[in-house]
Amino acid sequence: MNAQQHATTGAAPSNATLGAPRIEVKARATEPEGQARPDLVEKVVIRDMSFFYKDFEAVRGINLALYDRHVTAFIGPSGCGKSTLLRTLNRIYDLYPGQRATGEILIDGHNILEPGQDLNLLRAKVGMVFQKPTPFPMSIFDNVAFGIRLYEKLPAAELEERVESALRRAALWEEVKDKLKQSGLSLSGGQQQRLCIARAIAVRPEILLLDEPASALDPISTQKIEELISELKSDYCIAIVTHNMQQAARSSDYTAFMYLGELVEFDETETIFTKPRDRRTEDYITGRFG
Amino acid sequence: MASEHIIKSYDDELRRLNNAITQMGGLAESQLSAAIEAVVKRDSDLAAEVVQGDAQVDQLEHDVDGLVVRLLALRQPMARDLREILSALRIAADLERICDYAANVAKRSIALNQAPPVRPVYALPRMARLAETLTKDVLDAYVERDAERALVVWARDEELDEMYSGLFRELLTYMMEDPRNITACTHLLFMAKNIERIGDHATNIAETVYFLVHGKPLTQARPKGDRSSLAVVQPDDDDRPLGGKED
Repeated sequence: MNAQQHATTGAAPSNATLGAPRIEVKARATEPEGQARPDLVEKVVIRDMSFFYKDFEAVRGINLALYDRHVTAFIGPSGCGKSTLLRTLNRIYDLYPGQRATGEILIDGHNILEPGQDLNLLRAKVGMVFQKPTPFPMSIFDNVAFGIRLYEKLPAAELEERVESALRRAALWEEVKDKLKQSGLSLSGGQQQRLCIARAIAVRPEILLLDEPASALDPISTQKIEELISELKSDYCIAIVTHNMQQAARSSDYTAFMYLGELVEFDETETIFTKPRDRRTEDYITGRFG
Repeated sequence: MASEHIIKSYDDELRRLNNAITQMGGLAESQLSAAIEAVVKRDSDLAAEVVQGDAQVDQLEHDVDGLVVRLLALRQPMARDLREILSALRIAADLERICDYAANVAKRSIALNQAPPVRPVYALPRMARLAETLTKDVLDAYVERDAERALVVWARDEELDEMYSGLFRELLTYMMEDPRNITACTHLLFMAKNIERIGDHATNIAETVYFLVHGKPLTQARPKGDRSSLAVVQPDDDDRPLGGKED
């Protein structure tokens, strides 16, 4: 049994004992021959997951593992289901009627698609940042403190510490430390996006979902976000959706290529961008998609 | 090339790159064959043409360099495109070297023509023809993107190495027999070495074609047939075989 299987069974011990059929996770990165990867821990395991907008099946039969302290990028043409897949990981789709997911999404072995799942707890654990910066119309400080106040009652000094630490983590502290009382909306686009990342990590999540976090930003801000991603991955399991192929190639460890709602190929990023196995992946990344 | 890119000018640039390599390959073949003809026919005018012709190959290599830099900077190529572009850069460098060696053979033939002919001259064209075949085959393999065919070239270079070792021994014998042969034989030795090196560059190209097709380097050790670097000669000891011990 290799390290990955240990990680899977360790994460989902109930699977065998409950007699549920063991579903093989098909999409898994190739390992160098004969080498186990003890550094890989499967934080999220998606099993046979499909997603529906009413009757339309937008995502079909996904099997995939996201590794802790690694970045996984989702790429694919518009409408391929990559953002939809990301949205299932914190069940944000629950806000909309008629949307549902089937199959299993295990986070640390626990199926978050089960009806009894506490959604607030889930979203504290799985932070999300969107394409357009979405600062709340309140001060920079309150933007970051907002989530913390929802989940914890902290003394003022400790709250300030948490806000500062999140802003430092998001590489924004130096730029805003003298104007914490100003509105979050007064910041530039790139700063607003880093503020949103600070807000997401202030509640100490374990997984970060980034849905095209840099697509609305200028090149300098984009590089700051990419640098931030590489800093943050030492603490989090990160999933990023991006249309920018170079960005996926630069900032992720693993890449999943999706097409027409299906997962076509999943592998180490280097393999996907140098020698993909599937013709469709190759056509997409080389700009041959008709 | 596979199906077309969404951006048409990208395809045009890749095609230009491919054409430049094919053109360089054609020149390499004709330069080598003309150089050998110059040796066989003791034709110093033809040899001088070959020496001059080298500038054209150098220019083509500069063109390839420029195209590659442009493609890398503007297109951020990925996967197969990236391998195509890197391969073109490497193959252009190998072809440029092949042409340098051909020009050097031609240059030495002019010097050789000043001395009376020596017998080993006749072994040289046989070697050169094999080098020419290897170069031609590996370029065909490149055009066809045929890694298997490239591998055949890669393995056949051993024959060329063995021919070189044989010629090396023969030339030493001639030089020992009569010191007046030394000038001609030394030129011939360098010419043979040049041709042997052409084979090595053909195998480099074969390895590049393999990488281009399979996306991974060819890591096996290549069979080698050149033992001349181990040769020891002692004129007093006529019975001792030349060419040293085999490793």
